[in-house]
Amino acid sequence: MSFLTALVLIPIAGAVLTMFIPRQNVQSLRWFSLGVMVVELLASFVLLREDWSVAGYHFYAAEPAPIVEGLGIHWRLGVDGISLWLVLLTTLLTPISLWVSWLSVKTKIKEFAVCFLLLEAAMIATFVSLDLFVFYVFWELMLVPMYLIIGIWGGKDRVYAAVKFFLFTLVGSLLMLIAIIYVAVTYKGLAGAYSFDIDDLNRVVLPDDAQFVLFAAFALAFAIKVPMFPFHTWLPDAHVQAPTGGSVILAAVLLKMGTYGFIRFALPLFPLAAHHAGPFIIAPLAIIGIIYGAYCAWVQKDVKKLVAYSSVSHLGFVMLGIFARNEAGMNGAILQMVNHGISTGALFILVGVIYDRRHTRELGEFGGLAKSMPIYATLFVIVAMSSVGLPGTNGFVGEFMILAGTFGGITEGGFPTFQPWSHLFTLFAALGVILAAVYMLHAVLKMFWGPITKKENENLPDVTWKEGLALAPLIALVFWIGFYPRTLLEPMEASVSTFIHDFQQKLIVSNDGRFPNDEPRLADWPRRIAPGRDEAEQGEEGAEDAELAAAEAAQ
Amino acid sequence: MSNRFFELALLWIVLSPLLAAAVNGAFGRFASKRLAGNVAVGAIAISFALSLAVFIRLMTMESEDPRLELEVYQWFNLGFGSTDIPIRIAFVADSLSGVMLLVVTGIGLLIHVYSLEYMEGDDGYARFFTYLNLFSASMLVLVLGSSMPVMFVGWEGVGLCSYLLIGFWYQNGEYAAAGKKAFIYNRIGDFGVLLGMFILFAATNTLEFSELATREEALTQPFVFIRGEWGMTATIACLFIFLGCTGKSAQIPLYTWLPDAMAGPTPVSALIHAATMVTAGVYLCCRMSSVFVLSPTAMAIIAITGALTALLAASIALVQNQMKKILAYSTVSQLGFMFAAVGSGAFAAGIFHVYTHAFFKACLFLGAGAVMHAVHAHGDADVRKLGGMRKYLPVVHWTFLVSCLAIAGVPLFSGFFSKDEVLLGSLSSSSYYEKTLADLAVIVNAEGPTSYPWPTFFARIQYWMLAITPYLVFAILVLAATMTAFYMFRLYFLTFAGKYRSAEPARDSHGEEAHDDHAHDEHGHDEHGYDPHPHAPGPRIAIPLVVLGIGAVIAGYVGLPHAFHLPNLWAEWLHGPVATVEGGHEAEGLAAFYPWIAMAAGILAAAIGIGLAYSRYGSGGNVPSSAEPRGFHRVLMNKWYVDELYDWTVVLANRFAAVFAANIDKYFVDGILARLTSAIVTALGWLATRVQNGLVYVYATVMVVGLLAVGWWFTYPHAQLEGEVTGATVEWRAANGLGYRYAWDVDSDGTFEDCATNTCSGEYEDEDFERYVIRITGIRPGDVTELEVDDDPTTIDRRYLTTDWEPTEDGQRWPTVRFEEGKVLLDAGGAPMRVRGQAVTEPVQLGPGDSIQLGMGSARICVVVRGTVRITSAFGNTVEDDAEVIIEPPEGGGQQAALGGVR
Repeated sequence: MSFLTALVLIPIAGAVLTMFIPRQNVQSLRWFSLGVMVVELLASFVLLREDWSVAGYHFYAAEPAPIVEGLGIHWRLGVDGISLWLVLLTTLLTPISLWVSWLSVKTKIKEFAVCFLLLEAAMIATFVSLDLFVFYVFWELMLVPMYLIIGIWGGKDRVYAAVKFFLFTLVGSLLMLIAIIYVAVTYKGLAGAYSFDIDDLNRVVLPDDAQFVLFAAFALAFAIKVPMFPFHTWLPDAHVQAPTGGSVILAAVLLKMGTYGFIRFALPLFPLAAHHAGPFIIAPLAIIGIIYGAYCAWVQKDVKKLVAYSSVSHLGFVMLGIFARNEAGMNGAILQMVNHGISTGALFILVGVIYDRRHTRELGEFGGLAKSMPIYATLFVIVAMSSVGLPGTNGFVGEFMILAGTFGGITEGGFPTFQPWSHLFTLFAALGVILAAVYMLHAVLKMFWGPITKKENENLPDVTWKEGLALAPLIALVFWIGFYPRTLLEPMEASVSTFIHDFQQKLIVSNDGRFPNDEPRLADWPRRIAPGRDEAEQGEEGAEDAELAAAEAAQ
Repeated sequence: MSNRFFELALLWIVLSPLLAAAVNGAFGRFASKRLAGNVAVGAIAISFALSLAVFIRLMTMESEDPRLELEVYQWFNLGFGSTDIPIRIAFVADSLSGVMLLVVTGIGLLIHVYSLEYMEGDDGYARFFTYLNLFSASMLVLVLGSSMPVMFVGWEGVGLCSYLLIGFWYQNGEYAAAGKKAFIYNRIGDFGVLLGMFILFAATNTLEFSELATREEALTQPFVFIRGEWGMTATIACLFIFLGCTGKSAQIPLYTWLPDAMAGPTPVSALIHAATMVTAGVYLCCRMSSVFVLSPTAMAIIAITGALTALLAASIALVQNQMKKILAYSTVSQLGFMFAAVGSGAFAAGIFHVYTHAFFKACLFLGAGAVMHAVHAHGDADVRKLGGMRKYLPVVHWTFLVSCLAIAGVPLFSGFFSKDEVLLGSLSSSSYYEKTLADLAVIVNAEGPTSYPWPTFFARIQYWMLAITPYLVFAILVLAATMTAFYMFRLYFLTFAGKYRSAEPARDSHGEEAHDDHAHDEHGHDEHGYDPHPHAPGPRIAIPLVVLGIGAVIAGYVGLPHAFHLPNLWAEWLHGPVATVEGGHEAEGLAAFYPWIAMAAGILAAAIGIGLAYSRYGSGGNVPSSAEPRGFHRVLMNKWYVDELYDWTVVLANRFAAVFAANIDKYFVDGILARLTSAIVTALGWLATRVQNGLVYVYATVMVVGLLAVGWWFTYPHAQLEGEVTGATVEWRAANGLGYRYAWDVDSDGTFEDCATNTCSGEYEDEDFERYVIRITGIRPGDVTELEVDDDPTTIDRRYLTTDWEPTEDGQRWPTVRFEEGKVLLDAGGAPMRVRGQAVTEPVQLGPGDSIQLGMGSARICVVVRGTVRITSAFGNTVEDDAEVIIEPPEGGGQQAALGGVR
């Protein structure tokens, strides 16, 4: 059994064992489930011992176990620099959110613990699956515990929110399923056998028109999950209704599945489509999301909804970074995924803290809390600043890299990504930086500053040590990543630059209609600007081609 | 001691206040006030001592451009393919940052000491010192940062501390709102700095200040598509960065936060909003002076903005009644002076004014604070209720007077020297613009078309702007200097001369100052006036005042006026890092008089201003009434309604956009995605239930209609003709049906032959086909294209060619096929191609069965044959169907040609 299989199985085993603990033993249930997650966290630190300067999948089982042999479905797990931090983010935030859940969840403890453990297993499996089919199974499986968590332990409108969350995600992923099947069938047509192995599938260059349709299906599934404008409307409802722990996981990990899916699957499988969709669809939607999400956040009365909309805004940055497709943007995007997990996770925990005390999240109900809860106010301001992207906190590094990558707009070998709009994109995306300050400081002002206007707020207990314990690692990470992001960046660099290089190779191939027979030949493809496929432009391209050839000759 | 010691000192200069802030932040609330205060003051004192050591080291270094650099670690890196640019955390001390180090830590230390006493009665004592130390650390990072991103850490850090300190008395909602306003205005500026950074980075691949200075060539390239100086990389970048400076340094259009920032405790106003943080913009411009000088257009805009800000703020300060408000507008105005100098290319003068201004403005603020402390005024002191402070607070009075003389520019006081430099700089900037003006003159005066990409109208605007800027800026600055002298002495006389107006029994109206109850206000004060018995400050307030007062007198002597041709230590010292523009002070001719003109104007401005103030307020009379002012006075009192203008335009528009977005989200986006889809599904469900209505006659009707339709459908035959190719034989197959009769025409001769079966095979020979078609199979499986051939040439898709295949030089002649004389003619457009092992360039004739190896694919000349079937059903209905199939004739016979891939 490979290490990653163990990592997936530990929480499942924990869930099974939890079922045998009698319902009355509330404390044992709490400590046992938490203990399993802590073990999982400690186990996941093994990943850090790898030599991440080597690109490619680590812990990859040499002969992956077949699940359905005839269909080429295999149990294939592996971690590379791209998924490394997402796995660690999952193993870190799950125990934290379970810990804070034990402070507020009082009913159906056993079921809650089982749901959380299964959720953790599904999330990790999703991040480490290298088999498209297995990925899909866990992607869908993840919905079930989350659906239950929102629907059972949620707020007043929890059923509506849970169903909405479930249906939105399902619609997208069903389209993705069809697309996955199409890809596998096409692969069989070319290679003679079914395979869902992402490496196998990556070697195939799909026909242009198929790429566009399939990319659309994948992108829709992932965009709903991210969520990108305009598919984001499930998010505020789900967040507001979910219990604190659920919100933390939802924001910190589940949303990252969408962006991760883009990197791992949608881009390499459909390079040509991704290349063309980038500047025309994805980037504009991401920028609309950044600005629109920020505006929506600004006028929310419910602070949890405000944080939810801020996620829409932040994830817009991530999408922009991914589709900038250069090292700066991509590294920044992955870093920003982790950052968003940390700071938004912490924000949701903080909102949960005040909700436990006041049983409301209306901004108008607060005011002057800095007087009664000074530590709470301090922590909130720190996390808010991280969310705003103040230098010295984690948010800044990610945003800076993403914006620099977007502005750069050209990847190695002269591939234009957002040209000639890259400057305009950066300009508009950077407006989000201003708006982030606007909505976050608005919330801080309403909650903490000013006189105490409500009697209930006068004698609120400050953050307890239990709550502080949940927040401490996150706050430490805020500053650690803010000042020394190399810890996170170094391991991902090799994988990211390989990813970008491979993507570009495949884009060239895909663009010229050639099949990459073997590796050496692949490396020989001349690097040049990918011409459009428009027949009308042929003349122009010819001239361009001649120029490039001349330049090559000169070399 | 080695340089290493001093380099490490740079780190500890920053770390010392940072650690103190961390300690005070974490444990200050549990410690005594005394301990917390001492930790904070001790930390900044260490920084000051180290800064002094570093500065002395810089002075003693045997170098034109003394410089100490410490790389702490690599922060992150920006990768673009093979280029991977590290962003380092590194600190640099050179002559420019050395001066700023001393200002920040020196004045910082004094203000920390002052705060020990000033904040004594406040509950948030430790919190205050935490913020103040954090501010010092951020400001030092800003000053010492070796690259733009590191500078930006400090840049935003000081913004954060400013936000926290303005809203220090957070229980007052207005103060907290003022803090938020400051942060957001600064953030708008930061947006500009960010974009400026990206532009510079994209152009030069570096963000290190020292590297940027050497990338003149890259920075003078056009940015994107705009040519001319307006579109130069340096111009665009500088304007974006200047946007940041307008935010941080309170210039038009982003200055309105600074007067509101006076909500913070007075030491904060002195340190952050007068002496240090707000001068960061000037510092940045000087730090990047080598980039800024590349673009005279951007510089002129900066100079004009600075001058207009100086005038606007001075005009507002003329009529204000709050001590700190007056000082705040005075700060905005003085910052305008600095930017006017920077924009005129007189960077050294700008930073000189930063340096002298730090002394006298800090002294003024601390003096105002001392007055407020003495009379227990909270937030701000209304001059209408003061007066006669000369008697109560002699130390404050003398230091305040000295500082007023300095800011007014009275000779022999520090402000005189720096203001003189600024005025001279603006006047002599004409020589800096000369070259650009000459270039523009060619365009403006040209008769015919020019190389200028825009209508000459724009060139004309630019020309006139540059031509008048020096004189316009000079004139505005002199006017603003006159106003400065006036309002400062108005403030002085109203506060210190005459009698103490709160000593009398309470008056009816009490102005507009804030009377808020909060932590600081534990003494309690009279609702209608201030404490009738002002008390003199203790030593911790008095000593900083005296030190700053002395500074306000002597600080200027390092830069003696040019008119006397005395040695100017200041300009020499800054020679290294700060760019100097061509011409400048050494210009000849009329310009030789410039120093005298500048000095005379400065002295005259001070004399007129002070004289007017004395004649009106000198006796302590003419106290402004509390009545609502009228006319222009009212406009000034209301700050030209700029805040209102912003509220009604930008703020309202954004607020509207936000509400709009939220509603769109709720009703439109979610409406379509969630509600509309669910409504559609519900509607479909409802429709489906309508059919299942349980009425037998409805079911029966539906069934009968259905059966009739099926029956009708069966009376028609369905051919579904398909052909299957085996070599040159095609097996045609039509659909089976009850009672069908078939008639076949497989050779397209128009005659049908009856046939009993639904299949018919046809053998085809050379002349039986309909037409030629070329089937090209690409290297990618499934990639098959069938090209129809006719008399017009059809282009073969170039994706089948190798990438190095070149069309002939004379034009875009792609390989084409066409039909000619019964054969397919393949024309490679003159390019070499290989036929039967021989390279030929002429068109090749090909016949059926020929195959060609194209670059990346293989082509075969195929033929199309057609079959037709006529089916009659048992009901007598007849249908005719035809189908075409492509036959690949066997290979051989014809020619073979290879095309492409000639390399």
